Amino acid sequence: MAASCVSCGAVVSQRLLLRPRVSLAPRQVLWRAAELQSVPGPQILRLKHVTVVTTKKNVKALRRETYTVDFIKKQIEEFNIGKRHLANMMGEDPETFTQEDIDRAIAYLFPSGLFEKRARPVMKHPEQIFPKQKATQWGEDGRPFHYLFYTGKQSYYSLMHDTYGKILDIEKHKNQLQAKGLFSEKDKTTDLIGSRWLIKEELEEMLVEKLSDQDYAQFVRLMERLLQGGAAGEFVQSFRRSVTVQSEKQPIEPVQHDAQGMAFSTSEGRRKSAKAEAVVYEHGNGRIKINGIDYLLYFPVLQDREQLMFPFHFLDRLGKHDVTCTVSGGGRSAQAGAIRLAMARALCSFVTEEEVEWMRQVNSFAHIWNDVSRSSTAMHSNLPHKSSFRLDCSRLIRASANGRSRARREPAGSLPGRSAEYCQERRGRVHLRVANTHQ
Amino acid sequence: MMMKGGNKVLARSLMTQTLEAVKRKQFKKFHAASSEEQATIERNPYTIFHQALKNCEPVIGLAPILKGGRFYQVPVPLSDRRRRFLAMKWMITECREKKHRRTLMPEKLSQELLQAFHNQGPVVKRKHDMHKMAEANRALAHYRWW
Repeated sequence: MAASCVSCGAVVSQRLLLRPRVSLAPRQVLWRAAELQSVPGPQILRLKHVTVVTTKKNVKALRRETYTVDFIKKQIEEFNIGKRHLANMMGEDPETFTQEDIDRAIAYLFPSGLFEKRARPVMKHPEQIFPKQKATQWGEDGRPFHYLFYTGKQSYYSLMHDTYGKILDIEKHKNQLQAKGLFSEKDKTTDLIGSRWLIKEELEEMLVEKLSDQDYAQFVRLMERLLQGGAAGEFVQSFRRSVTVQSEKQPIEPVQHDAQGMAFSTSEGRRKSAKAEAVVYEHGNGRIKINGIDYLLYFPVLQDREQLMFPFHFLDRLGKHDVTCTVSGGGRSAQAGAIRLAMARALCSFVTEEEVEWMRQVNSFAHIWNDVSRSSTAMHSNLPHKSSFRLDCSRLIRASANGRSRARREPAGSLPGRSAEYCQERRGRVHLRVANTHQ
Repeated sequence: MMMKGGNKVLARSLMTQTLEAVKRKQFKKFHAASSEEQATIERNPYTIFHQALKNCEPVIGLAPILKGGRFYQVPVPLSDRRRRFLAMKWMITECREKKHRRTLMPEKLSQELLQAFHNQGPVVKRKHDMHKMAEANRALAHYRWW
């Protein structure tokens, strides 16, 4: 700590000390010894009293920057003016200059090669840049405006209080109706589907207050209780966000007609490194030709022929379609799986929507990315992996609701008694994967 | 577990031969029996297979737990899949080790399956041994913490 001595000109006092020994005073005082007198014996040391001022850090500056409302207003005005200037510069219409245009203009005028995107020059509305802060919570006399100010989290507690008030109102209303006999069990409005509660961060942002996990859990519980009592409509909706539905609908191939007027449809399938293209004819005897060879000769192994059979067996159309397909790459199983996928996709065009949905639920359309050999590495990492699959006849009947792969459920070494060899044994097995996590 | 070296074709053919052998034996018994007994003889090889494995599943297992420098065999509940695995494993090991050099696997396995179906035979005995051990070590059950 650098100590700078400032001698107060006004205050220079002298103190006489009788003892020659110097004792340090608690305050930092600089001793300035007078010249040693030639006379031996007790020396008189004159002290010049100096005050030492240590430069401390500017404590005021450490507090969070509070942005006043006027400051923010000024910033917004400046932003709008700047936006118009920018539009002028780019030669565009200032009236219809959107945020995307601003971003593009800034990227053009200030090209930056920085890797961190947040460090690049940005021009956004001040509300997005300056963090939301509360205005001063108390008046001139020092008295806070909000009645719950001294709880520390006034918005949160007032929200909980209002919600509970609503619950009580609903119950009172229900009791009144029941007393009159007018109460009817109305169906709960199903507007909850496709939406979710606010997450903790969103709630914090809304209330401009920090919440703990317990606070958030309590909030969700209270909201659920409100919903149970009855639909509270707008109030509840303001705390729900819609969830974008992942509809991975299987694209249905168009039905084509060939020279003789036979209806058919084509599609492709891939498995491991095998690629297959299948042409399924609508009316036929159940003959399958692969690369010009009959399937019985091309796949001497029963397992592969079973794979070809699955899509038809599932839809009860075993002997009703003719198939011609070409396949290349991969091994025996891979080719069988690829043809099976291609046939399942092609069959969609001859089959009802409901059956397509059933097929999707039974994983008929799963697009395989990795091969089995990679599942051993995936087992030891937490990354989601789309591993290969093989369905048995018995599993076709079972819905694949819990089709998470073993590897993800049970990582190596998690359970006692499970050794690494046990998991190694699993490596050869193929895992079931849910293609669409659709609820 | 039947498969060795990735030879699924062989494993599958062994299984089909086993089921065929089971079926043949049952049919032979069926034709030799009187009409009252014929009703009790099960001929579907798949039901025999599933029932035999179910009869071999242990209910409770043992886990080695280290406590005070010594390993204790503590009785522990087993999950469904662990039980099925143990049943299959015991069946296959038993057939591999305790058979004559000249007998083939399907023959031996069909024999064991039929014995297990009737709750007899070495695999079911092994299951009972496991249960007895667990019963004997009951006092150590509180060493388990999960």
